[in-house]
Amino acid sequence: MPLSLINWRQVWVLYRRELRGALRERSIVVNSFLLPVFLYPVLLWLTFSAMVFVEGLSEGRVSRIVLLDLPAEHAELRDSLSAAQSVEVREDTVSVEQGVAWVLDGELDAVAEFLAPGPEAEALPDNFAVRISYDRAEERSRRASDRIESAVTGYRDRWLEREARDLRVSREQLEGFLIYRNNVATERQVGAFLLSLMVPLFVVIMVALGCFVPSIDTTAGERERSTWETLMSVSASRMSVVTSKYLYVATLGLAAGMLNVTAMVISIGAVLRPLAGELAEELQFRIPLLAVPVLLIGALALALFFAAAMMLLASFARKFKDGQAMITPVYWLALIPVFLSGTPELHLTPTLATVPIANVAVMMRDAINGRFDWLLIGESLLVQMVFVVLILWLARAVLRFEDYLLGSFDGSFWRFARQRLLARRSSDALPVE
Amino acid sequence: MREASSSNGARRRRVLATLLGLELRLLLRDKRTIIIAVLLPLLIYPAFILAMRAVSRAGQERLEAATYEYAITGSEAELARSLVQEALALSAAEDDSAEVPTNFVERVADAPDSLLRAGELQLVVEWMSHEEYRAEREAEAEGDTAALRRLDELAAVPAVRLSFRSNSELSSTAASRMGARLRRLRVERRDRLLRERGLPLDPGELAKLELNNVAPAEKEAGAVLGMILTPLLVLLMLSGGSVVAADAISGEKERGTIETLLTTAARRGEIVAAKQLAIIGVGIAIAVINVANLLVYVVLGVFELPERFAVSVEPVALIVLLLLFLPLTGVISATLLALSGYSKTYREYQIYFFPVLLLFLFPSAAAVLPGIELRSAIVLVPVANISVAVREVLVGTYDWLFLGLTFAVTMAAALYTSRLTSLALSTERLITAAELDRAELIGGPALFPKRVLRWFGIMWVTLFITSLWLGATLGIRLQVVVNILGIFFGGSLLIIWRYRLQPREVLALRPVRLPVWIAVLIGAPSAYLVGVGLARLADLILPVPERMLESFGEYLIAPELALWQVILFLAVIPGIFEEIAFRGVLLSGLRKRLRPVALCLVTGAIFGLFHIDLFRIVPTAFLGAILAAVVLISGSIFPAMLWHALNNAVALVPAYLELRIAEPPLWSFGLGVLGLALAFWILWRYRSRAALAGGDGGG
Amino acid sequence: MTEPTVAVRGLAKTFYDEARGEVRAVDGIDFDCRPGEIFGLLGANGAGKTTTLRMLATILRPTAGVARLMGRDVVEEPVAARRTLGFYSATTALYPRLTARETLEFFARVNLYPEEKVDARVDYLVGRFGIAEYVGARVEKLSTGMKQKVSIARTVAHDPPILIFDEPTVGLDVINALEMARVIRELRDEGKTIIFSTHIMSEAEKLCDRIAIIHNGKILASDTLDALRVATGRHYLEDIFVDYVGGVEEMPGFIRESGSAAE
Repeated sequence: MPLSLINWRQVWVLYRRELRGALRERSIVVNSFLLPVFLYPVLLWLTFSAMVFVEGLSEGRVSRIVLLDLPAEHAELRDSLSAAQSVEVREDTVSVEQGVAWVLDGELDAVAEFLAPGPEAEALPDNFAVRISYDRAEERSRRASDRIESAVTGYRDRWLEREARDLRVSREQLEGFLIYRNNVATERQVGAFLLSLMVPLFVVIMVALGCFVPSIDTTAGERERSTWETLMSVSASRMSVVTSKYLYVATLGLAAGMLNVTAMVISIGAVLRPLAGELAEELQFRIPLLAVPVLLIGALALALFFAAAMMLLASFARKFKDGQAMITPVYWLALIPVFLSGTPELHLTPTLATVPIANVAVMMRDAINGRFDWLLIGESLLVQMVFVVLILWLARAVLRFEDYLLGSFDGSFWRFARQRLLARRSSDALPVE
Repeated sequence: MREASSSNGARRRRVLATLLGLELRLLLRDKRTIIIAVLLPLLIYPAFILAMRAVSRAGQERLEAATYEYAITGSEAELARSLVQEALALSAAEDDSAEVPTNFVERVADAPDSLLRAGELQLVVEWMSHEEYRAEREAEAEGDTAALRRLDELAAVPAVRLSFRSNSELSSTAASRMGARLRRLRVERRDRLLRERGLPLDPGELAKLELNNVAPAEKEAGAVLGMILTPLLVLLMLSGGSVVAADAISGEKERGTIETLLTTAARRGEIVAAKQLAIIGVGIAIAVINVANLLVYVVLGVFELPERFAVSVEPVALIVLLLLFLPLTGVISATLLALSGYSKTYREYQIYFFPVLLLFLFPSAAAVLPGIELRSAIVLVPVANISVAVREVLVGTYDWLFLGLTFAVTMAAALYTSRLTSLALSTERLITAAELDRAELIGGPALFPKRVLRWFGIMWVTLFITSLWLGATLGIRLQVVVNILGIFFGGSLLIIWRYRLQPREVLALRPVRLPVWIAVLIGAPSAYLVGVGLARLADLILPVPERMLESFGEYLIAPELALWQVILFLAVIPGIFEEIAFRGVLLSGLRKRLRPVALCLVTGAIFGLFHIDLFRIVPTAFLGAILAAVVLISGSIFPAMLWHALNNAVALVPAYLELRIAEPPLWSFGLGVLGLALAFWILWRYRSRAALAGGDGGG
Repeated sequence: MTEPTVAVRGLAKTFYDEARGEVRAVDGIDFDCRPGEIFGLLGANGAGKTTTLRMLATILRPTAGVARLMGRDVVEEPVAARRTLGFYSATTALYPRLTARETLEFFARVNLYPEEKVDARVDYLVGRFGIAEYVGARVEKLSTGMKQKVSIARTVAHDPPILIFDEPTVGLDVINALEMARVIRELRDEGKTIIFSTHIMSEAEKLCDRIAIIHNGKILASDTLDALRVATGRHYLEDIFVDYVGGVEEMPGFIRESGSAAE
């Protein structure tokens, strides 16, 4: 980059103008700032309300079941089921077919049919087999089946214990040993882990979204408002103008990304807690202090990348709408990390660090989990910046064309590349100013 | 013109056809939009699905192929080792994916725990005596009596401790696989022992349970399809329809063609109808193209379907589904068009689109909620009711009454939104291009009515976040201080300061006559009774879960507070400061924009939303509306403050004193209604002159 | 004298503004127009010209008063009134993705020109306005002058008896402005009723048969140029205008009137 052509004082003046304009532009403020701040709490509230509503609905629901041919010796099983408030044991004596038909019609939730045991299993007197007929497509029926199943299992365990006692097998012998799952990860580590699955994804998407509107607004938007030429005629060099615009778009992308992380970290505990029940009660959703600068730098690298790519494409548009269509493909790049989220035990490796966007996402993921491999972090950032410089170099090449600068070139980046950058003749290029 | 009036129908059809032709032609010529919005998704969606599946399969394989390193530690290492080896030597069970052979490798290490924490090891196995196990679990339970009781019920047997890290997929997988293996080993050992001791049968044969799924494959597939069909269609309709909608009105405004169109002989209703038809048409076309595209991939074998997947839709179901989707497409297209009508530029439309997308996707996924049935309050929620109804129809349940209700509710929503769009086209403010907003230039009090809702939105979010984060830890007194003094009162002061408002006018700080106070004394308890009755009515539609009732009771009756504190923190402070915020600032902010009845209802609804909890919305919104009416009639905020404080006291004090009052009998609600009527009659007789008429706070 | 085709009585438009209360953009005006006449509305920006014309075109709804186009009330029968009207202004743009021919066909049809005559009418318009050369090209590709021709052609596509030109020359160069004036005169000679608004004195002077001076929503004077000259004793329209307006110089601050802010 011909840095000497950039007058940083002018860049600063221009940059402040862009930023001030943006903060007064509703679409940018809404997209970059208000959406993250309002969206998460409102979605949360909706989730809460929906869950509580369903809980209230299902609490009052009683499973209606029939027990067919229950041997008299096992009446205890019926009693234990009847005792439960959530189960209504119907006394109808019906055929199995009739019961099944009722289950399918929704008159009944499940049919438990007691059968003679198989030939091998007959050896123990009074043994029986149960067949629960239920409708797997219906939640009420699945629940009824689960309730019968757990009653039968409990009954069977008690029975087995009695038999064991008769055979002089002690309870200790019967149980053998306990299995004790001991999670050594602290609540903070688990919280950080859950955050690490989501935060990098959102940072990438939100940085891209944050760059989206400003990058169009500051290029195609200026043409639409016909302020582009006014700007091109100020005494600042074109490099200064473009640099200030670029920095401004990157700033907004960064701001959107970081705001989202903050909003997410604040509200995510509240989303997961009711979902994961007691398990999540203790979780602490905090990001290690050292990860904050890594996240910031990562988001900055992403913002520089998206700002450069989106501005390059959007600057060919003459209208906001065209600009939007032109940079949508770049926005899709932001979805790449979504795929990574499905990969277990993914950490930064020297190879992965060479894949742009993905490397930054994984770098953030590791950082939130407290893994800092500074060498690889450096490599990721370097690779990302190489891409940024490549795009900027392309942008500089494009900036040499007059009709592009003045907005009279009608077409997209691709057409431009085909006709001008790759074609041999480029007589109408201006000397770099 | 004579021929026009004679054949009005033909005229309409001709105009509509001409307009529709225009819309479609404009769309089809917009090559770039078509490519981005129609053609690319055809490639992108399947590519996305394929990539997701490939990645998740690769992840699964990675977990299968990984080598899981474990260490054995503790004094009884040999015992543990033999157990683990025996467990790993078990033959693989068939359909138990957690137990497929995996590469477990033991590693001898000095400090296995620290290696585990460092991620060098996936699992540490230790054999513990029962005493050691109990000691550790008791320390973990931290005096939780229920957990301790469960410990007492355990047999006094030794334990195998599997230490792992849940923040590593490998480690969690190792623990769950090893755990599953050990459990199987335990069952096999138990069965062997019992057989040796003379149990005449395999314990597995005891009271053998068999599950018999009677649902036909079509029904199960229907249940799955029913869950995804509506959200999928809504997504496709929205993204497809949006292509047209964005251009339809906001685009026309931006290009300046809307005026050209409005000065033709086409009616506004016709213009809206043509545009809506275009949106529906394109939305449906895109939905169909995408579904067909997916089917092509299925036929080509790129995607495979689950095995027992059989879809058969009866003709009746098909007709009912089409009938259900009709109002759905109607409401979607009308909303998009209204959005387009209310935004002045293409870009403005784009900002609103994303929130609207979420607004539709959320209820359209209602069918995913477990245990939700159409025969519930959900039938009253447009879009969500369609989602649930579609699922029910697909599993073959036809609840005709509620299907009809669903259709009616969503259709009404569609018609209403459609009307809004027609109005948008007749609303001069929205058609005539860029108009200066005087209020924005002058600022101060003039701007206040326009911004008041925005401020309350911010206050709501702040309240929501603080109550999520600090609710449990703060204790009730601090919570009152933060929420009521900090957010409500602080927010009100900030608004008053920011817009340079006159506190006396905005907050209606005016003295009232004695009879008004008497009316409040009669009205507050009566309104409370009516509120309880309303809450009970609401409970019929929205049943309150037990858990919520309990936690709410615990929350309000804090035993550590003295009576005077309960009254101060839960009655007096809310009475004064919530009134300042809601019946002061909010009410006077909305006053110029709404008529008195609407004003009371809206103030009430916002007040209800500020109680966050779904089940408190109805009674609190009722209270809020009543209080707004009190302020409007009496012309002063002071009666409302007393009313509010009394209401809270009536609600809380008996419960605090543990007076077990039986559920109020039915006649008491009648008494409440009478008392409320009497109170309002008195208020009306001694109403303030300035109150109802003076639309602005300045009068 | 022929019956007036446009009759306006006591027409008023009041905007409600939260900050300032009522704003009278048009404050009870009366005028009549007849076939074969160019009636000029002359006034500064914000005087109420555009608001008046938009009310005639039924885009805005009058707060008070009556306006009839060919006897059709703009409030009672807006559709019938619009059928008799061609409305042209700087803000009535064309659809960029339609060709010139399609544009004309669309506007003829949507204004209910008899279906069987649409083709003939379009052919006539193409010939008359000299757009045959680029009739198949999309409007977005046309130059300003070409667009202007198409735009006028679309205004008269359904052969309306009344034509409203709201500041039609704004943004046009001399050649195009002259062309516009020529077309308007031609149309008048064909017997159309033409209402023409402008803030440019010379234009009004040259083009209009009768001139109404509008200021702050009121018509201060309305007559032929000669009669105005006699009444004020001044020769140039500029001076006549200042003579009428100067006495009531009290522009509403720095804010333009809401109704005509699009100018």
